[in-house]
Amino acid sequence: MKGRMIASTGGKGGTGKSTFAILLAIKLSNDGEKVVLCDCDVECPNDYLLLDEEILDPEPVYRELPELDEVKCEKCGLCSGVCKENAIFWVKEKFPLFFIELCSGCGACWITCPNDAIKPAEELAGESFVNKVNRTLWLVTGRSKPGIAETGPIVGEVKGRAMKLAEEVGADHLIVDTSPGTHCNVIQALLKCEKAYVVTEPTPLGAHDAGLILELLQKMQIPPEIVLNKADVGDKKPIEKIASGFGVSIILEIPYSDELVRAYSQGRLEDMVDLI
Amino acid sequence: MKIVVASGKGGTGKSMLASSMSILFSKTSRVIACDCDVDAPNLGLWLGITEYDSKKKISTSEKAYINPEKCAECGECFEACKFGAIERTGGFSIDPLLCEGCGVCQLVCPADAIELNKVMNGEIRINETQLGFPLVSGQLYPGETGSGKIVQELRRKAEEFDHDFMILDSAAGIGCPVIASVTGCDFALLVTEPTPTGFTDLGRILEIVNHFQIPFGIVVNKWDINPTLSEKIESWGGERLLGKIPYDRKVVDSIVNLKPVVYSDTAVTSEISKIFEKLKVHNKNATSLRTL
Repeated sequence: MKGRMIASTGGKGGTGKSTFAILLAIKLSNDGEKVVLCDCDVECPNDYLLLDEEILDPEPVYRELPELDEVKCEKCGLCSGVCKENAIFWVKEKFPLFFIELCSGCGACWITCPNDAIKPAEELAGESFVNKVNRTLWLVTGRSKPGIAETGPIVGEVKGRAMKLAEEVGADHLIVDTSPGTHCNVIQALLKCEKAYVVTEPTPLGAHDAGLILELLQKMQIPPEIVLNKADVGDKKPIEKIASGFGVSIILEIPYSDELVRAYSQGRLEDMVDLI
Repeated sequence: MKIVVASGKGGTGKSMLASSMSILFSKTSRVIACDCDVDAPNLGLWLGITEYDSKKKISTSEKAYINPEKCAECGECFEACKFGAIERTGGFSIDPLLCEGCGVCQLVCPADAIELNKVMNGEIRINETQLGFPLVSGQLYPGETGSGKIVQELRRKAEEFDHDFMILDSAAGIGCPVIASVTGCDFALLVTEPTPTGFTDLGRILEIVNHFQIPFGIVVNKWDINPTLSEKIESWGGERLLGKIPYDRKVVDSIVNLKPVVYSDTAVTSEISKIFEKLKVHNKNATSLRTL
């Protein structure tokens, strides 16, 4: 991919990650740059709503899950022993029971089974969608199937599709919008990003969670910059302290405005692009 | 009685509401508050807590290590890993950020070159609080895996405290840590905001709550930022609606000063009390149904 891959993240939920990602995408696209925006918050994807787009024509994302052949199974229980997720329950002389909501699809059970009684079966884990928002802006949305616990691999797959699209259209930028938090689904979204915007708010909560995501970014060696949203509501000091502690600058402050809340609520963020 | 607070979307007011319900229930009952958002634990801050009485590092996951002296560079592990955690850099090595500790690489390695080592991936924190009930909180260290297992561990710890009510503050989203928080609860308090995203994500978390067949109630937070949509959510919620809370900037002042919202002079305080009263009635009914 020739373009730059950058992330909008933040640790805490509801700080404005998606708002910032969209404003940035629209601004760059207005400047004539080609942009692919990838909504990697697959558990609760929202960018399409904020862009007032409908998501149609899903492309499935599959994962492999164990399927037991009771004819071949000799009830030895080895599968249960190797499962680190404790997703296989076994008692002597009984067939093993699979708790699919705990299964990560790692394959340990079917690799181990001496009787070839466990086979990987493809199951729908999620979907991806592509919208052409305007001449130079594309949106790729990932959405997990409710009940799927392990969403990191879905993020990885959807991001791969966005990278492919970016390559095809010759995008100058791929903007990755992550979910809140710092665990595997966020790590997958951040992988290989050149830069990350940490969108946060001036409260002790924002500061605490920004500290956690900055720690993760440091481990991943991705250079961050802080975007302070709702900058005039609260107290900036804890954020400034975190920023200087990590040697990161606050590059943008977005004040709270009823107008922005309305635009957010009505899928009209393009009117607010001057904020950044 | 276990009450989980969830929302799908982040930043809708889960921790604010969970902290308030914990305080209000504790006036007449024994409460244990659980911060199950181990990625970004904030419930303590809403209760005015910044330090913990005890912190215990725990290990709920392992990471693989390839011993280069034994590795025959056959690439079996590289092919078998579903998480893309094996790097090919001359020989083969593990990217600890991506390793889920599933052990598949070890199972397929013909040269016995792969070890699995326990990692301290998080901690459980306890504070007795000045509020009359304890808080059990968890933290997954950034870059580690296993958030769901940390939630399970902290819930086990919380069970050790005598309680009538356990209030669980879940993470955003609908994945692994949320499923670990919601499972086994008796009631779900779902918080939303009147935005298309808030409403859509409420639908997403509802699929999880319904999957586990947990009775639920709905709270619309910051209802006045979009009264039209709020009304739509309210009528959609029907008798499930437990109340609506207005937007008040003083809530932010309250968190800036680390003062629990129910002790602050804000427009939300009285609405939260009303929600609490309704929740109490709901739970009384649920309890009597269960004992029948």
